[in-house]
Amino acid sequence: MPDPTPMEIPTMQVACDVNGESFTRDIPVDMPLLEFLRDVLGLTGTKGACLEGECGSCTVLVDGETINSCLMLAAQVNNRSVTTIEGLAAGTELDVIQDSFVATGAAQCGYCTPGLIMSARALLNDQPDISESELLTALEGNICRCTGYASIIEAVKRAHRESQNA
Amino acid sequence: MIQQVTTTESDQTLDAPIAPADHLVGKSCRRVDGQEKVTGAALYGADLFPNSAELFASVVRSEHAHANIVSIDATQALEVAGILGVYTHADVGGTNIHGLIRRDHPALASKRVRYFGDSIAVVVAKTERAAKLGRDKVAVTYEPLPVIATMEQAIAEGACKLYPEGNVMGDKRIRKGDVERALADSHVVVSDTFFTQTVDHAFLDIEAGTGHWDGQVLTLYVAGQWVHEERRLIALALGLPVEQIRIIQPVTGGAFGGREDISIQIYLGLAALKHQGKTIALRYTRSESMRARHKRHALKIESTFGANADGMLTAAKIVVYSDEGAYASTGIAVMRKAASHATGPYCVPNVEVDVYGVHTNNNPTGAMRGFGACQMAIAYEGMMDRVARALDMDRETFRRKNLIQSGDTVTTGQRIDPVSVGLCLTKAIQKFKDQPYPGSDHLPAHIKRGWGMSAICFGLGYGDGFPDCSRARVELSDSGIATVYTGGVEVGQGLLNAMMQIAGEELGLPFESMRIVAADTELTDESGSSSATRQTYFTGNAVRMAASELREQVLDIAGIKLKVHPHEITLQHGWAYETSNSNNRVRMEKICTEGLTRGYSLKATALFKPRTIVEIPNTGQSPRAFITYLFGAHVSQVLVNIETGEVKVERHIAAHDVGKAVNPQSVEGQIVGGVAQGLGMALMEEVTYRDGRIMNPGLTDYIIPTIKDLPPVEAIIVEHDDPGGPFGAHGVGEPPLIGAVPAILSAIYDATGKAPCELPMSPERTWRLINEVCENDPLSKVF
Amino acid sequence: MFHQPMTFEHALDLRSELGTDATVINGGTDVVVAMNHGAIKPTTFIDVSRIKALRGIEKQNGHLIMGAGVTFADLGKMHFRALREASLSVGGPAIRNMGTIGGNIATASPAGDGCVALLAMNAEVQLSSKARGDRWMPLVDYFIDYRKTALADDELIKAVRVHNNPRSRWYKIGKRGAVNISLVCCAISQNENNKTELAFGCVGPIPKVAPKASALLTGETLTPELIDDVANLVTHEVAPIDDQRGTATYRRAMCSTLTKRLLTQLMEDAPKGDADA
Repeated sequence: MPDPTPMEIPTMQVACDVNGESFTRDIPVDMPLLEFLRDVLGLTGTKGACLEGECGSCTVLVDGETINSCLMLAAQVNNRSVTTIEGLAAGTELDVIQDSFVATGAAQCGYCTPGLIMSARALLNDQPDISESELLTALEGNICRCTGYASIIEAVKRAHRESQNA
Repeated sequence: MIQQVTTTESDQTLDAPIAPADHLVGKSCRRVDGQEKVTGAALYGADLFPNSAELFASVVRSEHAHANIVSIDATQALEVAGILGVYTHADVGGTNIHGLIRRDHPALASKRVRYFGDSIAVVVAKTERAAKLGRDKVAVTYEPLPVIATMEQAIAEGACKLYPEGNVMGDKRIRKGDVERALADSHVVVSDTFFTQTVDHAFLDIEAGTGHWDGQVLTLYVAGQWVHEERRLIALALGLPVEQIRIIQPVTGGAFGGREDISIQIYLGLAALKHQGKTIALRYTRSESMRARHKRHALKIESTFGANADGMLTAAKIVVYSDEGAYASTGIAVMRKAASHATGPYCVPNVEVDVYGVHTNNNPTGAMRGFGACQMAIAYEGMMDRVARALDMDRETFRRKNLIQSGDTVTTGQRIDPVSVGLCLTKAIQKFKDQPYPGSDHLPAHIKRGWGMSAICFGLGYGDGFPDCSRARVELSDSGIATVYTGGVEVGQGLLNAMMQIAGEELGLPFESMRIVAADTELTDESGSSSATRQTYFTGNAVRMAASELREQVLDIAGIKLKVHPHEITLQHGWAYETSNSNNRVRMEKICTEGLTRGYSLKATALFKPRTIVEIPNTGQSPRAFITYLFGAHVSQVLVNIETGEVKVERHIAAHDVGKAVNPQSVEGQIVGGVAQGLGMALMEEVTYRDGRIMNPGLTDYIIPTIKDLPPVEAIIVEHDDPGGPFGAHGVGEPPLIGAVPAILSAIYDATGKAPCELPMSPERTWRLINEVCENDPLSKVF
Repeated sequence: MFHQPMTFEHALDLRSELGTDATVINGGTDVVVAMNHGAIKPTTFIDVSRIKALRGIEKQNGHLIMGAGVTFADLGKMHFRALREASLSVGGPAIRNMGTIGGNIATASPAGDGCVALLAMNAEVQLSSKARGDRWMPLVDYFIDYRKTALADDELIKAVRVHNNPRSRWYKIGKRGAVNISLVCCAISQNENNKTELAFGCVGPIPKVAPKASALLTGETLTPELIDDVANLVTHEVAPIDDQRGTATYRRAMCSTLTKRLLTQLMEDAPKGDADA
């Protein structure tokens, strides 16, 4: 989160759609989207871990594309739509990627998990066929410190298979 | 009413066959915390803020690596809008000191700072912005002292002393046989010096939590690794009785030893005590986290090994210098572990080891996955490759000649039985040779392929006579649900499932009937730390013992219901039935209801406390330095670009004897994850200092492996029942990292013909090794 | 204040009015990192990310013109090999969806991968101001010193252009398999007249070309001997420093190594008449 400044931070009104719900909020102009989602909207599923765009923990979809919410200002999503990890499951029914992450043990400490699932969601949204290298490239911006990635790769492959069969 | 419904239901299902025995131990049950982690519902430390944070704290840290504090002036800070208070050492009610083994680390420095992360004051404000602005306005006047940036500077004559007793924190030795004579008589004697680097845990979930004081109880939601010990340390520092402190572990995003030292707990506690009734929130940024936290010890390891013409090791002489940084942390335990693992799983008749811990003005160094043992494995496995080459002997053959067998002793004189390191090596190499890597054999001239191996051992638990025990409680409810209570913390490793599965197995319950409460000092009993690969073995045993006692109650009650002797009863999938007549059966709910009516407690607690024997100070010998030993072996295959020094791990095989895999999926996750951290340590991770200041306090320049750095890691789970472990299990947390690093280095040696001795083998260091470029060495010099 | 102009003209108005009081932001991958570190504390922004005209890629008079708002993800689909590979080496997919070529040029980091690829391709950058209109300048002249550029306080970067059809090669040495900051990177391109340019990243205060080496190559057919000469020469044209990522010794040696490797690739691939794809 930005260091404080001696100046008053101007505020602005932001209207956006998050997980299908419309929000209008007055926020400081320098507030990163990550902070907006977590501290203003209370959607703490999206995680911050480096605040430099190096780890991918804060990955969300903006108009369907993955972005790092630690590096986008909340002001920039005015009139745009954001999807976070909280927007994937339908009630208690898990998204197939979420279910696969549990099934393969891809969530150990779980901190990288929301970001990884969002990156995987964007990949599966875009492509009917996925090569091994496309899969790895899609997830290369998401650091996991626990798993060594094997169970994550397995989870995304499983989710892809299941959605093809569905 | 409800009672009746339950009865009717169970009567209706009386004719249905009992589900087949559902052995929870050995089954990859879905993680109990999986659902909340994949939906984003899991609440980690900072996730508590939106609903609870009322005030925010921030920490003033030293701007010098070494200085006397002349004055602390909060005047300007207190003028910032929203600032409610600035607190220094003078505001701390207790000893103001923490430290896991040696209490030497001021929570808030009063007279002197010894590293850049040293904390000086805590600022409390209405908003996080204000707290940070106030922090920046606290004026600290320093009188700089000479900075001890390297171990060499620390032990130089006339060096500025960090402590009155000098800069050598302690030493540790092993003496066995007559090393000088054995070396003189050896056919070959090989020496080399290894430099291992400073490593950061880089768990993703940055330190964050809340504190609240209601006038009676200080409640802290902060992730640690041993909540009960943390409570003691906080109590001492703040001057509160432990009864008035409650720690609840939020969901925790990794630890790897990095949460063993106290982090934000005392700051939060102090702020909460000053602001009764308000919930205080505090979180670090990544750079503050890296700047404040302890690190893995950088070691300089001078190794000399001798062997006779038959390829039998004769002697080892090893001198280790360990950068302890500014404060002791767990350094003493790390030195012990380094000494006792100095020759690994090899029979060496004559051994001399001297380990010196040296204070510098770098970050304190302490626990990290495989501490001490990990660095020594790099040296002893490096030496196995070098000695084999000196003897012109195949690397595997040479290792096999010298590996300990069941009944042999390790360096400390402890006799080990069973020993499975040879079996692990066989399995790893067999897999490597039987299933060749599908990669191309036609490599361009500048790409060299090589493979290497490692064989390692690991003493589980604290060892060395240090008190080490776990408690557990298991309870059955009216509805036949069993709840396990443990003080052990889940940090991602899978402790919750392991404990539920062990208890469920003992009670013949399906996983769905299991619940767990963990790491809440109010609700659970002490189970020691989640470290030293000890939880499965220690708390697993305590859980099994408690569940076993509960099982006896269940059998007694079932015996009354079924009118048979308890010995003739089988517990399976939530039923108790007469072993020879499964139609004579009763459900667990009914047993529990009956038992509670009859005055059975349906609760059991247990303590597991095996004893280790302290090592003799002058020789390091002990018949039981560690409670049990774990073994593993790795094979790694790499490609080295000899023009640029880039290294790519193509394939990695890791075989580990885990005793019994309680949850094979979790065990595999630990093995592959350990290899990933080992790969990071071998090739890229390194905290770099300049005059005590960390130059790369962020994930842009503290490089950790991505999904593209990991080859497909092949995990081989070797199950060789540990007679002392629950259902034969012992543990797996640390050994995979320990085995991975030397195997990768061994492969680089094979590919390049040059033996690596500095870590990490970054492109530049590999290029220097190949081209023998020494001048202008890039190593961040802590040596 | 947060200004979000929808047209480039409006953005120029704002820039002219606010000058350095406002921070220009697009993808945020440099600006917000600096904010998160507390290195800058802007309170006024001109967000150019909504300007559609900046997102265009078009062919014109033998040139390919890319708007300043073209992202690395977009560039990763292009047929210029060096630019494509350089772009795909930037961050992970989310960063590439955000980061833009204009931002890379504006930041002017010596490690700017996109800048290095463009320099080798003799790119020109178009700078615009309300008062003086548009001007094209060679990218090589745009970089002045460490993070110091020819961009005036009332100007915005509008576009960058390269000749349509160079053959090019790229290599970046980083410490891991993805999401790398360069230790050293090198781009080489050759146009139809056999004019060959070399550029390097992380070998001095700015992304660097090697004019003497390029001169030695001009009009010549690549031979192993010539490549060796050029590879030796480049070590005198770069001025790397020691920093915590690597040393000058290594970087200098790598300039030579990469020059040799990439020129050899061009030489060996020449008979295949390769389209750059």
